[in-house]
Amino acid sequence: MADKDSFLHLARPLGPAPVGAQPSTAPLNVVVQPQAIFSILDHALRRPADQDRVIGTLLGTRSEDGTEVEIRNCYAVPHTETAEQVEVDMDYQKQMLALHLRANPREVLVGWYATSSDLNTFSALIQNFYGQQGDGTWPHPAVHLTVSTNPGEEIESRTYISAPIGVTAERAADSCLFIPVPHELKYGEAEKSGLELISSAKDREDRSQPIITDLEALERAVQHVLDMLERVSNYVNNVLDEDAEPSSALGQFLMNALSLAPKVDAEDIERDFNAHIQDVLVVSYLANTIRTQIDLSNRLATAALTLGTGDALTDNANQRDGDNRQKGGRGGGGGGGAGRGRQQRAQEA
Amino acid sequence: MADILKDSPIKAVQVEALVVMKLVNHAAKTFPTVSTGALVGMESSKQPGLLEITSCFPFPTIDVPTTDSHQQDSAANIAAAAPRAKANVAYQNEMIKFLREVNVDANNVGWYTSASMGNFVNMNTIENQFFYQKEPNERTVALVHDVSRSSQGSLSLRAYRLSPAFITAFKESKFTTESLQKSGLRYQDILVDIPVTVHNSHLLTSLLHQLPSDAPKEELSFPPNLAALQQDPNTPQPPFFPNYDSLDLAIDPFLEKTCDLLLESIENHHTELNNHSYYQRSLAREQTKITAWQQKRKAENAARTASKQPLLPEDEWQRLFKLPQEPSRLETMLNSRQVEQYARQVDQFTAGISTKMFAVKSNLLPGE
Repeated sequence: MADKDSFLHLARPLGPAPVGAQPSTAPLNVVVQPQAIFSILDHALRRPADQDRVIGTLLGTRSEDGTEVEIRNCYAVPHTETAEQVEVDMDYQKQMLALHLRANPREVLVGWYATSSDLNTFSALIQNFYGQQGDGTWPHPAVHLTVSTNPGEEIESRTYISAPIGVTAERAADSCLFIPVPHELKYGEAEKSGLELISSAKDREDRSQPIITDLEALERAVQHVLDMLERVSNYVNNVLDEDAEPSSALGQFLMNALSLAPKVDAEDIERDFNAHIQDVLVVSYLANTIRTQIDLSNRLATAALTLGTGDALTDNANQRDGDNRQKGGRGGGGGGGAGRGRQQRAQEA
Repeated sequence: MADILKDSPIKAVQVEALVVMKLVNHAAKTFPTVSTGALVGMESSKQPGLLEITSCFPFPTIDVPTTDSHQQDSAANIAAAAPRAKANVAYQNEMIKFLREVNVDANNVGWYTSASMGNFVNMNTIENQFFYQKEPNERTVALVHDVSRSSQGSLSLRAYRLSPAFITAFKESKFTTESLQKSGLRYQDILVDIPVTVHNSHLLTSLLHQLPSDAPKEELSFPPNLAALQQDPNTPQPPFFPNYDSLDLAIDPFLEKTCDLLLESIENHHTELNNHSYYQRSLAREQTKITAWQQKRKAENAARTASKQPLLPEDEWQRLFKLPQEPSRLETMLNSRQVEQYARQVDQFTAGISTKMFAVKSNLLPGE
């Protein structure tokens, strides 16, 4: 995306501001979380048929000095745009913001997005609305994120902040200077597993993917690593056969990687391996024993025990399965005790 | 399992990628507190029985200053009970009203919750889902995202519904031994697991293809030295898929945590059993008293017949003695279901870890 562009930070010109808080001109970095981009793309798909672009509000966090902005969340705001005028549902924006802040009290308004790369007079108007004093982001600049959503083309995103500019006082409201600022897409550790699943569907025709189990994931990862090892060993073999061009840097890199392999005694491995695998298997065994015990205990508790005469005396039967249940419970407790002991050993190991 | 699915109006759940991201983010942000929120979407028009979850939003949380453990508990409880809280129903309706204006499928289709190591089978989950599922013609599911399990490899996301048999029993709140015998309800039948698939939009697929993940295909020139290699922009980032995190060997903490939880469940089970045997004992005691009383009354009546006196009523014991109430078996059932959950989890963990261990062993000891 746009993070390969190079950027030159220019102090933006500032408009007349009241005495007191002074907007900063410090360089600004924008971090976009995948969730926000996903949400914008979703909104782009749900736009009314007669509209080319849709807009929405960006929420996120801002570092204390205002130089880092993290866009975490966003929501759509209905607006209508014709050749002559633009109408943004201000009321909707305000109420939605209030609703969002109730659920995410730590997020603040940081700017707005549009699903087209065009910047026009209306963009300036909306930008000024988001950057204004009071409801807007003032004294911080409002961030404008554009995400192009033309089908069949690359999705491009750009971020801007703005500076006031205007030929006359009357035109000041609907004109501003958009200054591009760098941004990057960043994902957190927690999102990794989600992104894994989502991107596993990218090569499938139906664009969907059932939830994969841990084992399947492991299998695929191992397969992938094997493929890569294969590729590297092919290259090394080719170099040895003098079919491929050698590279000292690559050689050094491979050497460094290989030297990370631990040197351990075969006996130690054998011993550790056996100890560990036994622990793991015992835990598994005990867990299943406990499950069976509990199942048994439940079945005995609710089974209609008819021993002796056909018309079982209810209290007799109750008494009986009460006994059985206690037995089951004790067995389960015993299993648990053993599990505990085992587990401590596993910790020591 | 297949039989239960047949009765259910929903046979599969399709989750949009956006929902997955929102859910994961929300859960990570509030961890270890439970996070809950509402799901919106609709039933697929092309494929009846397929529930499409297209968006979601979190429920507002109340920030309770967590100074002591008691308050922490209450904060967690508030969060866990959020889906059925009155204020949140209003919030949800308000939010859905607004979402409708921007063409989001504005039907409530359930709720989501986060869990840690599969510890979601409890009264809160049941009550929340019951709250949603008790409406007629509902199409609602509970999506459970397991934060701890997702952090060690593949995403753990499951959809559950309550089985119709359980709903009937829960409505009457009848969980005595007798009623369970009659209905044949077992703890395995409480929750119905619905298969989940993740779905991407066209635009998203296009975006994903844009993200560099594979090694570049064209010929590259060799780097002059090691430093240049490490800074080369062509060096691909580890791809999202497959996730190399699942190759991590450290799984013991997970196993250990599950064992702890399992022990906790056993203790709960024990408490419930004790409650029950206490009930049995007191029931037996009362019944002996009643029999004694009945015999006494019979003897008295026999004496009265002999002396031609009017007989005393023989069913007065119903007023005199009160039989103890049988404790509900619901807790035991939920607890059993929870144990089953843990046991399966342990199975999955051990399957993974033993594979990895054998791989490591044969790697370190080649030729064996």
